Amino acid sequence: MIGRFIKKTLTAAALAYAGLFVVFYYDLDGKLLYYVVEPFMKKHFDNMERRDPHSVPYMQIEEEYM
Amino acid sequence: MRDLKHLIYFEDLLQEANNELVRKAKEDGRLCLGYTCYFMPEALLDLPGCFATRLRAPKCTSPDMASYYMSGRTCHYGRSLLERALEGGYNFIDAQLATETCTVTCRFQEHLGYMDGVINNATFKTEFTDVPFKKNENSIDHYEKQLKIHVLDFLSREFNVDVSDEAILEAIRINNEVNDLVSAIGDFRKLDNPTITGYEFHVITLVSMVCPKYLIVDKLRETLEELWSREPDDKPNYKIKVLLAGSENDDPDFTKLIESCGALVVADRYCYGSLEARGHINVEPGDSPLRAIAKHYLLSSQCARFMEQREMRNRKKVIADYAKEYKADGIIVASNKFCEYWSYERMIDSIVLPRDYGFPVCSIEKEYINTASGQLRTRFQAFVESVELKKIQEGR
Amino acid sequence: MKKPDLSKLKNIDFKKAARDFIYGKPHEERRLGDLYIPGTGLYKHREWRGIKDTVYYFNNIWLYNYGNIVADLFRYSGGNPKVLIQFLKGTLRYRWMGQTYLTVLHWFDRGLEGLRGEPLKASAWHYRALVSASLSQIVGMFMRDTNIGGDPELRAKTMGHDETVWGGIFYPYKDQMENIPLQMIPYFVTCHCNNHTVLNYIDSIQSLGLPGDPCPMCQAESGLYVEDDMPDFYPAYITTNEACDGSVATSIITDWLAQKPLYAMPQPMQFDDETVLENCAKEMEGAWRFIEEKLGVEFHWDELVKNLEAQNELMRFEWEKWDVDANTPYYPINGVAQALYRIFQSQYGERWIWHEVDSKVRKIMEKCVEERIETFPKTRHRVIAWSCAPLYYSNWCTWAYNCWGLNVVINMDSLMFDMEIRTDSYENTLMDMAKYHELAPMRRNAVGGLHHIFMLWENMEKFNCDMVAMYDQLQCKGMQGVVGLFEDEFRARGINAFWVPHALPDKRTVPRSEIRQIINDYMFTVMGEEPLDPTLLDFDDSDSW
Repeated sequence: MIGRFIKKTLTAAALAYAGLFVVFYYDLDGKLLYYVVEPFMKKHFDNMERRDPHSVPYMQIEEEYM
Repeated sequence: MRDLKHLIYFEDLLQEANNELVRKAKEDGRLCLGYTCYFMPEALLDLPGCFATRLRAPKCTSPDMASYYMSGRTCHYGRSLLERALEGGYNFIDAQLATETCTVTCRFQEHLGYMDGVINNATFKTEFTDVPFKKNENSIDHYEKQLKIHVLDFLSREFNVDVSDEAILEAIRINNEVNDLVSAIGDFRKLDNPTITGYEFHVITLVSMVCPKYLIVDKLRETLEELWSREPDDKPNYKIKVLLAGSENDDPDFTKLIESCGALVVADRYCYGSLEARGHINVEPGDSPLRAIAKHYLLSSQCARFMEQREMRNRKKVIADYAKEYKADGIIVASNKFCEYWSYERMIDSIVLPRDYGFPVCSIEKEYINTASGQLRTRFQAFVESVELKKIQEGR
Repeated sequence: MKKPDLSKLKNIDFKKAARDFIYGKPHEERRLGDLYIPGTGLYKHREWRGIKDTVYYFNNIWLYNYGNIVADLFRYSGGNPKVLIQFLKGTLRYRWMGQTYLTVLHWFDRGLEGLRGEPLKASAWHYRALVSASLSQIVGMFMRDTNIGGDPELRAKTMGHDETVWGGIFYPYKDQMENIPLQMIPYFVTCHCNNHTVLNYIDSIQSLGLPGDPCPMCQAESGLYVEDDMPDFYPAYITTNEACDGSVATSIITDWLAQKPLYAMPQPMQFDDETVLENCAKEMEGAWRFIEEKLGVEFHWDELVKNLEAQNELMRFEWEKWDVDANTPYYPINGVAQALYRIFQSQYGERWIWHEVDSKVRKIMEKCVEERIETFPKTRHRVIAWSCAPLYYSNWCTWAYNCWGLNVVINMDSLMFDMEIRTDSYENTLMDMAKYHELAPMRRNAVGGLHHIFMLWENMEKFNCDMVAMYDQLQCKGMQGVVGLFEDEFRARGINAFWVPHALPDKRTVPRSEIRQIINDYMFTVMGEEPLDPTLLDFDDSDSW
């Protein structure tokens, strides 16, 4: 039973390792980020509502730091 | 208005750096000390036997040689100065009292020190002074120390100049005389209907900076006398009054251009302007003359390089206060192309001054010598019309 | 069914193919340019470097760093699980995070292209340190950022500061507070990692009316505030005039848009003069009073000494590295790793990760020296890179070595801050810290007199260089102001030098392909040389990170 579990775990680990190597070697992480994630995030940020910081008056303040 | 008696004479003095009075002072055996920045105290360069001349490069529209050395992507003013130096136009200077207060004028002055023979004058030397970015006690101490080492000690060591307290006090007296005269002349701009134009005043201010003071002071005094009795035109030939703020500007034709569009320039808050440069230097009890000079030039300056929070904010208020004091209807903020400080300052001013202080602003980027007058004229005319319209709407 | 053409197989040299598979191809046969997908900078597949180096890259760089990114999140948050939520919120809130830093492993790829053996390892360790130090700031910001529900108590003990304020200023309080540079992560590192996002910030400040010509670094830093993309993790902050007029101007924008208490800590411009130190020292003391008042912390001398001593240790090792770099062909760090690590480490200040990485790099370097491993065997020219580098193409030197055998052994930014700081008395320490500021990036060589920038000549000799890569930052007024003198000096001294025009973070002004073309032209026409890898001469990476 334990032997089977270890074998299964090792097999799964080996497959995961091989899968990750494929991801690495064929730059699939880069491709996912470039073609899917970045365009999505870009759209997200382009449509985000933002404050307008420069609408704040620029006047003298009471505190002074010399 | 009747023409000012000495205006043409003053204009002639601005046609070249080595003008008639500079030559005369040299013939008198005076040492000619060049400088470019307000932070090099003029008063210290007017010590006995010396005279200060603030460097200009009149009529330099195409600084080709300087563009080889400083590229075409630096401030036209700095390049024009180098061009004039390479042409031999500053050979009359005995020393350049330099400051690293903005990058490009600093580079220009470094070229003077680095390139053999660019100033064809055997005695010529360049000496740099470090100028602080704040106005606190530490900065005043530092500035005073720097002026002692790099101006007084330098002049004493290299040229045997008398740098005693008495000598400094005399230099302050001479400067105050000119400062007070120019300020008094400038006060006529505060009248409801000013009896001096911005152009005339710009010429007078520049003359007071580039000429030996002992040779120009009489003409300034006469001009002031003349102004007391000068009558304004019955009908003003301007539509609005403006304050001109911004970076380096020693081109009176720029002021003339603005005025030809119907905006009388009543206040000059820019490098080479009078508002700070012609203030009275006070020697307070307990202060040495040198300390007084350090305090005066540091505390009076409204340069865009000051970094304290209070100063950064106060600069806007100072412009607005001047605009009120001189009864300006609007503000023109003009910066030289490639001026790092004023690119930012101009951008902020053009948002903050109208919104937080209620002054309409015309934001202009210009060259040192303005050849693109057609474009600028269009901008100024549009601004004048918009301010006029605003005045009509407000029932003024 | 078509009969397979087996004739091609007959031509294959299986012995060589096996050798290439096991050891990787010789430099001249790599054809690295063929690996790119045009326009993107992505790889059709990552480079096969031979079994050993490919496995090293996969395990010890790719997997290790992905894993450590997660580990660092917990490490820098003290194991607080909330960090995952804050990280996610920050990723969705800030463009510089969400659009930029996820691509971090490609940053490694670009910088480490073509490397084998020990240089691959040592350079990758430097990158690891950069990522870890970046994460310490990212976590620090997000855990405190009230825009995304950060902890106000942590925020109350945090001082923000310009990225060009040396982190050492905060050493006396390191046991009581945190200092986080304002722009180092939102701006500076993004440009190296993924230069797409910085363009938003440049455009946004220009939309307010700023002309296009001021230094684009300062523009981008200001644009962060205009875009409302600056985390609110600090109750007060410290600014500086380092490195130029543009930095002064940036302070005004940040003051206006941040609306927080600000202490300006400017540095003297002229610095061969010993008298300027006192001014600088007093400004530091002013900054310390400001920190104490705003954060309610106390000056701890022991803490200052401890951190300075640790920093001195880093400095001493850097000098050892430079010694090997200057005098042997066994230096295992490539140009981009050298530059980025050194500038980040010396500017940000003392952190544990620098020591960990230095200990690993020391072992690698000692091995290279002992075993006389020629680390960059295809070196044709030893190049010194001078002035400030293109942030969007900091890895140009990796390309230059692969394509032309130009080995950038040292650069101007690396040479900054090269001094130890005395810790024997308050006065000596203060004076040395003041002196240290004079040696800050760009300030060291670019201001305070032309002779500083012409320290190029002595460093060229010191590092045994025969060629200069002269960066030409088109919007840097200080450097533009001396181009002619450099031209004159290069001619007079008979130095081989090429210019690398760029606009710091903005790739639109001078695209990377144009930089390559200029170098190609120089190498063909002036040097009369042929490329080592012709596939790298010209390729389309216009929209690459």
